[in-house]
Amino acid sequence: MPKEKSVLLEIKDLRIQGYSDETWVDIIKGVDLTLHRGEVMGLIGESGAGKSTIGAAAMGYARDGTRIVEGSSIEFDGMELTTATEADKRSLRGSRIAYVAQSAAASFNPAHKLIDQHTEAPLQYRIKKRMEAQEDAVDLYRRLRLPNPEEIGFRYPHQVSGGQLQRAMTAMAMSCRPDLIIFDEPTTALDVTTQIEVLAAIRDIVEQFDTAALYITHDLAVVAQMADTIKVLLKGNEVEQAPTDEMLKNPKEDYTKSLWAVRSFESPQRYRKEGATPLISVQNVDASYTGGEKVLDDVSFDIHEGMTVAVVGESGSGKSTTARVITGLLPPSSGQVLFKGEPLPPSYKQRTREQLRQSQMIYQMADTALNPKVKIHEIIGRPASFYSGLKGAALKNRVDELLDLIELEPAQYYNRYPPELSGGQKQRIGIARALAAEPTFIVCDEVTSALDQLVAEGILRLLDRLQNELNLAYMFITHDLATVRAISDEVVVMQQGKVIEQGPKDDMFTPPHHPYTDLLLSSVPEMDPNWLTTLLEERGVDNVGDAASAKIEPKDEKVK
Amino acid sequence: MDGTEQSTIFGISSTAFVIFYFAIILGGACIAAFNDKRAPFMLLFGLTLVSIVMGIVGGADMLRSVAIGAFLLAFAAMLSYGFREFLVNIVSTEMAKELRTAPLTAGFGMFVIFVYAVAAIFAPFIAPYGQAEVISSAFAPADENMLLGADQLGRDMFSRLIYGARNTVSLALVGTILAFMLGALAGLLAAVRGGWFDQAMGRTADVIMSIPSLIFGLLMVSIFGSLATNPAWLRMFNGNVGQADFALGVALMCFFGLLVGLLVLATVAESFVGWLISGAITAGVVLVFAMGISTIFNSSEVILILVVSIIYSPRVYRLTRAVAGNVVVMDYIEAARLRGERRWYLIRREILPNSTAPLVAEFGLEFCFVFLLISGLSFLGLGIQPPTADWGSMVKENATLISFGEITPLIPAAAIALLTVAVNFVVDWMLFRSSGLKEQ
Repeated sequence: MPKEKSVLLEIKDLRIQGYSDETWVDIIKGVDLTLHRGEVMGLIGESGAGKSTIGAAAMGYARDGTRIVEGSSIEFDGMELTTATEADKRSLRGSRIAYVAQSAAASFNPAHKLIDQHTEAPLQYRIKKRMEAQEDAVDLYRRLRLPNPEEIGFRYPHQVSGGQLQRAMTAMAMSCRPDLIIFDEPTTALDVTTQIEVLAAIRDIVEQFDTAALYITHDLAVVAQMADTIKVLLKGNEVEQAPTDEMLKNPKEDYTKSLWAVRSFESPQRYRKEGATPLISVQNVDASYTGGEKVLDDVSFDIHEGMTVAVVGESGSGKSTTARVITGLLPPSSGQVLFKGEPLPPSYKQRTREQLRQSQMIYQMADTALNPKVKIHEIIGRPASFYSGLKGAALKNRVDELLDLIELEPAQYYNRYPPELSGGQKQRIGIARALAAEPTFIVCDEVTSALDQLVAEGILRLLDRLQNELNLAYMFITHDLATVRAISDEVVVMQQGKVIEQGPKDDMFTPPHHPYTDLLLSSVPEMDPNWLTTLLEERGVDNVGDAASAKIEPKDEKVK
Repeated sequence: MDGTEQSTIFGISSTAFVIFYFAIILGGACIAAFNDKRAPFMLLFGLTLVSIVMGIVGGADMLRSVAIGAFLLAFAAMLSYGFREFLVNIVSTEMAKELRTAPLTAGFGMFVIFVYAVAAIFAPFIAPYGQAEVISSAFAPADENMLLGADQLGRDMFSRLIYGARNTVSLALVGTILAFMLGALAGLLAAVRGGWFDQAMGRTADVIMSIPSLIFGLLMVSIFGSLATNPAWLRMFNGNVGQADFALGVALMCFFGLLVGLLVLATVAESFVGWLISGAITAGVVLVFAMGISTIFNSSEVILILVVSIIYSPRVYRLTRAVAGNVVVMDYIEAARLRGERRWYLIRREILPNSTAPLVAEFGLEFCFVFLLISGLSFLGLGIQPPTADWGSMVKENATLISFGEITPLIPAAAIALLTVAVNFVVDWMLFRSSGLKEQ
């Protein structure tokens, strides 16, 4: 609901250019934006849509290598930022416009205590004396429901968890009571359970101080909770803008509708064949990194041929470590992994070429998973020539075949390098590399979490199609339950290195659940704008995030 | 002093020169300002201000020096620009795109390196006399036969300068290449293998680095340098000095080859049979290589090359280890390992392409240091032995001339300085590219 208040920020015909390949290219192609006092506007769009660039421009800032084109106008509370001097703009930043970055861990200076960083801006602008500023900081920490508000400010950033750090950063942004805060994907890097507490804290404090905010995200469900109005962006152009309720109920443009429809994909559930030997069987595996505590504790589950097992849990629950044990990168301290009933050697170094070929891996970050200095045809062709000894024309045919399989035009991509491709295309190359080995089993480690929803949807459909065509088994590691719902046949829920619940997908998504599964499920944001309010009413404000997962008794009997 | 002669500059009276000079630069500045050309205006007007101050302090003569200096700078800039454009036009499109990002300083550096290379390769054709040929009296001044005069034995300075490019630069180049073979191979291997191997290599590098390089160099050169003329050694070759010298070079080179060869073996071979086969191949390659090097250089030069490469290899090792260490943790390396790839493939196809830029830049830097070390050792009389021309010893031999106000000994020193500056200009550009600063 737009509030009837005076205009705080007015951007007219904003055009921003970036320098690439020796020419200036338009990144933002004439966007208008009006933000009233106390209003929260959500900016959504895929990566590359220009969300963050607009966020920075609202502070009169253009990143290095970009420039604001003449003729654009950014008016903040009567002051024209495009023509303002650097000194004038600097006096606004921190005091009247604040910024909350995506990764709080990377944005805090690790060498200073939280409270010293918090009080820096008020002291700099001589708004408060040091002691006043510190008292105010403690007050803000209390309002943001940080544990031990008196004491937490005197810790260093690395001594505080991710979700708490993100809230501390919001408190820091509030330190001068700014008129406008820019939130740049503040919860994207957090787990669903932690996300809720940050969202609730941000929403409360923005309301309490009547601060205007630009909320940048690619997650529709999140923006639905936070924003009064939503603006949809696509490739530097505005698609449409409307109040949140209206936007959710009846989006006008096709692009917006396609964004809304993303979560519809669901593959039909498959069931285990009776009496079949599982393809991969993880049996009572314990594992730890050198000298550390147990990361995996008695983990057992089976993966059957042609089926998808989703492994879910928060970060630190041991999902990826399980994958490392299966692939042989981390030999388990006890227990074993069976492949078609035969035990696999614990380390990949002792496995035969044939055993290595059978299980392949697709990585979360396609950027680091593909060598940037090697051409696509070699990346895909190498496993084919390595395992099957293909050469010359046969190899080229195989690469073309694989590129066809992942729906990329062979002639166009054959000779290109990975940095020239988009995120989704890179992920497809990663899939092709895994397929080139003709495996029976693929580990997919958070393959869609770094991608936009539309692109992720395409990747999921591709994986599902390949599974049906090639009879592949997937171990799908993810923390996103929507993905689990879309692609999995069986689900394994992990918490603190233990498997706490497993079974077919249908069973897992119908209550009753294990309390932890319940917590995970209920923490996934929904499109309903009142979801967060309802949830907080049900659970109580102090029963979200870390607090909620701490309350679950580890020895709680399975509800089943 | 004659007043009339003093007041003539570039063939016109000094008054006219001052008026012309200021008219040209001020006029240029105004035209630039009128056409909204910011950079040329700042340059020309800055020159005007400097000229006014210098003119007040030093009069018309000082203005003449400023004018010559400005002209030389402009000349160098035009040369650099022209040379860069020339390179852009003759290389492939991909290279041309990179070259266009090169600043003028890099263009200048490349031009200087090109000139040195031509001088070194075609030395016998360019130099009018041989490097050891005595053609006139000691310290004879420059005349129509000798461009730069004669040195302390009456040899042509210019010819020796040209030959010096060949001797000093080729030694430094070979020394740097060997240092890179040893250091880079050890670094890559340490990054890939990790564990105890990494530790052992690192500590060895620490030990070598803890010895001051010049003292280490002096020590090694004086120990092995006397071996070639050692009676016991000579007796083994029945007093044949040439043979004894050659054999010493081969022996020392083989020792170095053993070090590199062991590293190669540790990389390539993954089984006992592999060790045997690749061991035999490596031994053959090392022997041929050692004989080749010893044919080109005499034993004292071989010693110099080896000393230099052993002193500098730990630095290369550290850099390579650090760069490769950052690459090894990438997911694509993990993917290759899970595929069952061998170490050699990992190094060659996955790691090296991602670390060439910093390594090439480091190569340029190390080349400068090696070059200076060799010149330094020669200056001390331990490097390249007379009568072979070498810039470092040329400085020493002609040093007495300094007290007579002659700049002759400074010319080889300037040749060293110019090459060092030129290489650093090019390296700076490469470092800038590899650091990714242009994107930020």
